[in-house]
Amino acid sequence: MLKHLSKQLLLAGALLLGASFQAGAADPILIGISITQSPPGSVVQGTQIKDALEIYRDIVNAKGGVLGRPIQLVFEDSQGLPEKGRSAVEKLITKDKVVAITGSHQSSVCLSEIEVAHRYQIPYVNTNCWADSVREKGHPEVYNTSPYNSLVAKSMADTLKAMKVKRVVAFAENTDYGIGLAKGLGTALKATAPNIEYKYETLDRASKDFTPAILALKANPPDVVVLTMLPPGAYIALNQLYEQGVAPTAKTIVYDGAGMADYPDFWQNVKEAGKYLMTIGMYHPEMKQTDLSRQIAVAYKRKTGNDPNRLIFQAVDSLVVVVDSIRQAKSTDPAKMLAAMQTGKFDGARGMMNFDSRPGVSYHQWMDIPYVNYQLTAVNQAVGNTTLLQGPGMALNVNKLQYPK
Amino acid sequence: MPLFLDLTINGLIMGLFYALMAVGLSMIFGILRIVNFAHGEFFMVGAYAYALTAMKLGINPWFALLLAAAGGAFLGVTIEKLLMRPLYQGYQSWSIVKDEYAVVVTFALSLFLIHFVDKVIGPSPFMGPSLVSTQRIAIGPIMLNGQKIIAAGISISLLCGLALFIKKSLWGRQIQAVAQNRFGSSLAGIDPVRTTSIIFAISGMLAALSGALLAPLMNPAPDIGSFPAIKSFIIVVLGGMGSIWGSMIAALLLGVSESFFAVYVSYDYRDAFGLFVLIAVLILRPQGLAGQKGRQS
Repeated sequence: MLKHLSKQLLLAGALLLGASFQAGAADPILIGISITQSPPGSVVQGTQIKDALEIYRDIVNAKGGVLGRPIQLVFEDSQGLPEKGRSAVEKLITKDKVVAITGSHQSSVCLSEIEVAHRYQIPYVNTNCWADSVREKGHPEVYNTSPYNSLVAKSMADTLKAMKVKRVVAFAENTDYGIGLAKGLGTALKATAPNIEYKYETLDRASKDFTPAILALKANPPDVVVLTMLPPGAYIALNQLYEQGVAPTAKTIVYDGAGMADYPDFWQNVKEAGKYLMTIGMYHPEMKQTDLSRQIAVAYKRKTGNDPNRLIFQAVDSLVVVVDSIRQAKSTDPAKMLAAMQTGKFDGARGMMNFDSRPGVSYHQWMDIPYVNYQLTAVNQAVGNTTLLQGPGMALNVNKLQYPK
Repeated sequence: MPLFLDLTINGLIMGLFYALMAVGLSMIFGILRIVNFAHGEFFMVGAYAYALTAMKLGINPWFALLLAAAGGAFLGVTIEKLLMRPLYQGYQSWSIVKDEYAVVVTFALSLFLIHFVDKVIGPSPFMGPSLVSTQRIAIGPIMLNGQKIIAAGISISLLCGLALFIKKSLWGRQIQAVAQNRFGSSLAGIDPVRTTSIIFAISGMLAALSGALLAPLMNPAPDIGSFPAIKSFIIVVLGGMGSIWGSMIAALLLGVSESFFAVYVSYDYRDAFGLFVLIAVLILRPQGLAGQKGRQS
């Protein structure tokens, strides 16, 4: 019996030794991920991005990795704070020796992190930082698969023009994203619909009471209240608009510029106040699905029990760019990866991506990001059942827009 | 005129919520002469206890409210016993109490509770169930949320009850005695340790109840405590550190003046307004509206 056992142990030892030699031969490629994993930043977004990146990592590794090596994600917590993000990226580059950085999802954090990536000339793929200034800096290391404020502002301005509204008020959270989008919307409206009277009010994203700002609209409500705010502040604003009877009403509709309607916690937090919300969406089940997006959707549902939203696909696409740039460059050398990003095409979850090289907001931006406009017409409505006002690449049909009676 | 009314009423209601949050902090300062930096997290724990027991366990929201209050009181007593008592036990005079450690201890507790809830329960905000199904009620030109009206009513009852309790009851008079002179009160047969426990229980209960009442209005997330904590610190300084009545008046003043400031001056600086007030009070009247000059030993 003992002899038999010792043989088994010997065999197991030999296998382990073999495995360790094999691991040595295929050292993982380290990719740095800076996301919010603890407050005060958006941990909800950070968690979704983490789940999506892990799913895609497993898909890549199951197919043998890249250049015969598995990829390994090294996570750092930015807490949604620029200074923490900066030190997280510094640590990922200098201590962990990652070949690229991705995952970031808050503009103010991105703006501080890209400076570090630029200093070390390490590729940085922006997952979800919408502020135009991230592109306008013109750092050659920064590539953007994320939507951007100018795109959203232009689309929203076109929608407002088609709705033939007269007065629009925006509530913007006091962040690079919120103020940037509100200002961008003003600029876009001036260009496309100069007759629309527009102003925006900046709200503190940490505040829990927006009633005074809402009460000021009560005597003469605008036709549209635009929200350029993220949850939980956006949820509170939506509830207080409803509570005060300002919107939604037969006159006033709320237009969300953050795409929050597909957040898994949306309906739990807004209930009746979410009905009639019009929103710009970067993902809708009626959009063209790719093989990868279908695979990700199934895996995400299995992993979390939730339906995927745009953030899941954005996260996957940012990692697709990193992994495929290594594959196309046949190297993990940052300069070669950056050259591949500059000229390459990347088959992502939302379509074929390539990057513009014109200076300004287009710089290293994937320009053809698909988007839709849709309206929620019932409480607890799934995104797939909402009224699609504008499909990807299609004209807006405002006749479908519903108002409360 | 409707806007003036709207702002006054909404400001008063916010002021009542602020008062409920701030009074507990003021009481702890009045007795222990320490600032509880984890006070906002008592609020957060109350909000979560209420929402989770009502939503996940299916308990009636009114009963969940009582459970949240009891949970806050229990947390207060536990923290006093485990973390605060070692700071003052054995000292007869407050002049040698280790109050600098209290800052570190309560600050660490605050961080611990935020991250504990974040990891165990999750980062997503969620709206607690309302005590009434009516989401909005029109009273003349004023539009109010049903939950807000109930929460304001409960806040008034609790604050009046607390004022009477402190003034009339035996425990209340013991609290006053310990606040005036800990050593002297012990000579008169009052147990200062037990009294301190009672204060922490009341403080925890009020903050947790406040969190529970506002859970359907403020969509609690793990870091929600920072909002009430900052407001409470401003109110405690404005009202006079340790003065319960001062805190109540200061809370109402702050609620109303913030409302008007936001509309007629600038919404951008609405939350900063409270901090301007804080600085002005510290420079011009450091003892606050109803506080006493200097610290008692």
